[in-house]
Amino acid sequence: MWKFIVRRLLVTFPQIVFLSVLVFVMAQFMPGDALTGLIDPNISPEALEIQRERLGLNNPWYVQYVDWLGGLVQGDLGQSFRFKMDVTALISERVMNTILLSLVSLIFTYLIAIPLGIISGRYNDSPLDSAITGYSYLGFATPIFIFALVVLWVFGFMLGWFPTSGSVAPGLDAGSMEYYISKLYHALLPGLSIALISVVSTIQYLRSEIVDTKQKDFIITARAKGASENRVYNKHIFRNSLLPIAAFFGWEITSLISGTVFVERVFSYPGMGLLFLESVTGRDFSVVTALVLLFGIASILGALLSDIILSIVDPRIRIK
Amino acid sequence: MEADIAKMKEQKSPSAINILLRELFRDKLALVSLIFLILITAFVFGISIFLDKNEIVSVDLFAINTPPSDQFILGTDYGGRDVFGQLIIGTRNSLAIGILVTLISGVFGIAYGVISGYFGGQIDNVLMRVIDFFMVLPFLMIIIVFVSMTRDYSVVTFSLIMAAFSWMGIARLIRSKALQEKELDYAQASKTLGTSNFNIIFKQVLPNITSLIIVTMTLNLAANIGLESGLSFLGFGFPEDTPSLGTLLSYATNPQTLEFRWWIWAPAAILILLLMLAVRNVGEALRRAADARQRRG
Amino acid sequence: MRKATISKALFIMMLMMFLVLAACSSGSDDADDSSSDEGNGESEDTGSDSEDTDGKVYDIADFSPIKEGEPMDGGNLNFGLVADSVFAGTLNYNFYSDAYDSEIIDWFDEGLLSVDDTFNYTQDGAATWEVNDEGNEFTFTIRDEVNWHDGEPVTAEDWEFAIEVLADPDYDGPRYGDVTSIVGAEEYHDGEADSIEGLEVIDDKTLKMTFKHATPSLLSGGIWGYALPKHIFEDIPVADMSSSDEVRVNPIGMGPFKVESITPGESVTFSKNEDYWKGEPNLDTVTLKVIAPETVTQALETGEVDMVDSFPTDQYPDVEESLTNVEFLGTLDRSYSYVGFKMGTWDKENGKVAMDLENSKVGDVELRRAMWYALDNNAVGERFYNGLRWNATTLMPSFYENYHDDSIETPTYDPDKANQILDDAGYEDVDGDGFRENPDGEELVLNYASMEGGDTAEPLTNYYIQSWEQIGIKVEKTDGRLLEFNDFYDRIGQQGNDDPDIDIYSAAWSVGTDVDPTGLWGPNVIYNFTRWEDEENTRLLEEGVSEEAMDLEYREDVYKEWQEYMVDQVPVFPTVYRAKLAPVNERVVNWDIRDEATELERYEVGVTQDEPVVAE
Repeated sequence: MWKFIVRRLLVTFPQIVFLSVLVFVMAQFMPGDALTGLIDPNISPEALEIQRERLGLNNPWYVQYVDWLGGLVQGDLGQSFRFKMDVTALISERVMNTILLSLVSLIFTYLIAIPLGIISGRYNDSPLDSAITGYSYLGFATPIFIFALVVLWVFGFMLGWFPTSGSVAPGLDAGSMEYYISKLYHALLPGLSIALISVVSTIQYLRSEIVDTKQKDFIITARAKGASENRVYNKHIFRNSLLPIAAFFGWEITSLISGTVFVERVFSYPGMGLLFLESVTGRDFSVVTALVLLFGIASILGALLSDIILSIVDPRIRIK
Repeated sequence: MEADIAKMKEQKSPSAINILLRELFRDKLALVSLIFLILITAFVFGISIFLDKNEIVSVDLFAINTPPSDQFILGTDYGGRDVFGQLIIGTRNSLAIGILVTLISGVFGIAYGVISGYFGGQIDNVLMRVIDFFMVLPFLMIIIVFVSMTRDYSVVTFSLIMAAFSWMGIARLIRSKALQEKELDYAQASKTLGTSNFNIIFKQVLPNITSLIIVTMTLNLAANIGLESGLSFLGFGFPEDTPSLGTLLSYATNPQTLEFRWWIWAPAAILILLLMLAVRNVGEALRRAADARQRRG
Repeated sequence: MRKATISKALFIMMLMMFLVLAACSSGSDDADDSSSDEGNGESEDTGSDSEDTDGKVYDIADFSPIKEGEPMDGGNLNFGLVADSVFAGTLNYNFYSDAYDSEIIDWFDEGLLSVDDTFNYTQDGAATWEVNDEGNEFTFTIRDEVNWHDGEPVTAEDWEFAIEVLADPDYDGPRYGDVTSIVGAEEYHDGEADSIEGLEVIDDKTLKMTFKHATPSLLSGGIWGYALPKHIFEDIPVADMSSSDEVRVNPIGMGPFKVESITPGESVTFSKNEDYWKGEPNLDTVTLKVIAPETVTQALETGEVDMVDSFPTDQYPDVEESLTNVEFLGTLDRSYSYVGFKMGTWDKENGKVAMDLENSKVGDVELRRAMWYALDNNAVGERFYNGLRWNATTLMPSFYENYHDDSIETPTYDPDKANQILDDAGYEDVDGDGFRENPDGEELVLNYASMEGGDTAEPLTNYYIQSWEQIGIKVEKTDGRLLEFNDFYDRIGQQGNDDPDIDIYSAAWSVGTDVDPTGLWGPNVIYNFTRWEDEENTRLLEEGVSEEAMDLEYREDVYKEWQEYMVDQVPVFPTVYRAKLAPVNERVVNWDIRDEATELERYEVGVTQDEPVVAE
């Protein structure tokens, strides 16, 4: 087991290096740079040129890459030009927001998906099942950004139940109870919008798992032995169907990443997704590269996690 | 299922395509969806031949944001441009992108998967590592970076960019099927008879996984239309005079458009929903057809 | 399978929704067709579509820039910073480069010098000044009562320190160019001197500055007036200052409010600085938060914010009636949009414009002038911007009251005149394709670079192209599309790599407090993207900042001549001037949105009641 993990990690290493080269080069070839946004008759072009030179923006990309790599080895992701601070510090400012948002949406996803999936599978072909399936069809077809816009509109503005932007109310002391509550409160609506859309695949999956398991021999045997219907479901079917869902957990991370980009944009929620979009537009190359790298690592780890869970729950998949 | 198909092959039973079609006709919903898709596609591609794109995106200062009327069936946007015409061209572009991406990634993915699965061994090993790499790329972000790097992109280049990041799923799927297929008797038999690898792949293995390919590609189509509109929404899609459903929809980010001028974005939103639902319905029916256990008879 | 039935029902429901939609649209035909037909036919009648808000035309003259009243004691003000991204958080005048940051700094810090309504320095600021007869030596005296928020006095050394930091080779902000006019600053920057020769601290409160040249620009914003507290920053290496906590977490200033807390990128809370040198502020606290342009209307409506720094003017017509709890203030914006003609390239080696009229498609002034006549900018202003932008005349916006010359006659929309000019100049349609060829009979296709941004960018670009088509000039978008912001400036030459395929471009400048236009249209400036130069132009620009121009009247005359000359030569022509709108809640009083100095200052702003007024 440990051998497997170590080997997988070894494989991911060249992946990450390659990803970094790819992103770095692509970022360099984007038109403009971080100083383009400063075009202003009140700022002398000479001063900008001095900054370009100082930041090494005039060097060829491979020189810049080697510089960057040198910093990376020491854990330094470079400086954000726009924010005038270390990328590591900048990202750690935002990363908690995105993690919180992801957690909230994951929790909501499972809270909603599991009961709905079970109901839908247990009472398949009932009107209730049809309604749930119908919902998952609609959810499948609704782009997340449209849904998020509507949710923001209805619950944020029309009903005024939730804050409509930001990650925390202004002026609260970081660390106080109120601060954390406010953080959570701000993450609820965006998290819920991701969850309500992303539940559909889990619901469908769970449903068909349960429908399948229902007809398996051991269930029929259990029934024949006189186990109550609830017991059959809770003890046998549910547990059996849930395992693959658990294994998908890791992959959820990958899909969450693209979800947060959209939702953070709609809700002006200052997480990493929004930071990414702003940095691309502002040509803050070091931030762009660092973020893509981080997200890449997150999905690599997610995939690894899935494989590990899968190998634990399903002994048939042997790890070589 | 593979055994089923193989057996049918021996008995000269209906081909995979026939089974798919038969299942499709049994499922009324899927049939309606299919007809809807065909009609919409024929309509937008047909009518856009007669529409002058420049006319539609031409600006009319004196018809800005007019509500639907006789003159403009779906009103005009803030440039005084006809929304209905944009909707048609937009649907055409979105569909074209969806189909192109699906085709490009499909063809590439299939070739990749078949080669990898069929040859196996070291080749397979290397090819699979490459796929592993692509699978974990945060592709939405890479596409965004890519789009901002490419100075001018058209429907074709945009499709290529998207296809570059969406062929892995299908390649993987095809590979595993090809692995299974080649172990089956008929492929092994051919090999001993001296049939070339090429022939075995294209004449024998591939036809047997057609149904799977069609299903996967149909479902990919829906995902690609969705992705395109998402990118347009984030501002990394097409310029306005190449409208897509996504660009029309992204007008809704302007709060006044969202609140007061539904005719600009609502038709596009509904059309996206309908298209994705329809594609999905067809895809699901095909999936059932491909899976003998779930077939409806 | 029953599952199919409900899905089917859903699908049919969707189809029906679609049909209903179609029905809606055809249903409203009857109600609306008359008005829209009319609207199409009569170009003059702007009021015809009365129910359609987009037909309204506003006039900036109807807006007041100021809201006065009797405030209550204390209270909290919620200020919205309209931004589509987070603020960068470099909260110090000496280091910021982000416009959003400066909006925040304005609350808690200020310059030592104050300006009058023509942006010339006055003696009312935190520092007073004297100047020698030559006009190049200034002696500043900082008032005794001016203190930093931590109670330390603001000293001459703090001021000197700020300038030294700006000139330091390790400095990572964009303001070095603001101090190069001081004697010895460049030597200090290049490491040739240990101190700046032109700075002399006479005593704690007195600083003498010597400049290389005397020019009127010095007095209108040409002196760096932002001190940096030396006792705080002394021990921080210059390269680390902008990322230090003293700039980002606990920024310090000398303004009417103190920073209480910062949520990075999102919000800032302020409390009043009781020790403020002009007097105790009215408000107890100010809460500033970032509001997305998409949600600003709702935030104002519910009273979530009392006011915002600037309101997206395109939203105004739709919301002016529903926002009953808000008064809209308005004033002239400091910017203008323009169309420029590329007539050369940038000579990187010599750092100057390399004009090449021969090989430029737009080298002919008659062609350029005709293209100006072809554009109906008043219609653009009324239709796209509801009158909140309007036809521009000269390159010195009316914002510069002293210098802007109304009397100059500039080309306004007249297609017949444009056709006439082109006919006379020999541009004729030889091959009968509907477009004119150039006088040599060669095909003329102009490549037009225009930038993305905002809803109107694309329609406006298309409208211009259509207008030029009307006079037979074929114009095509570069790459067939709008260019992304970064791409655009790269290609029109922000770094001197001009794209030879661009013949025309449109852009906008936000002008500075100093009227001197050399930085935009001079022969040695990279921002002169037209790459046009001309002796007369150079002469006028130089005269405008000469010693003689210390005399206001002389300077006015020079710039009037310059404006006229530019209208004559048309290397570039302005298209529209802009208005700036800022809504304030009814409870807010003593607020003035003008940039220039006014009787009302930030410490005087107040509220009349504890709770914001909410829209009905």
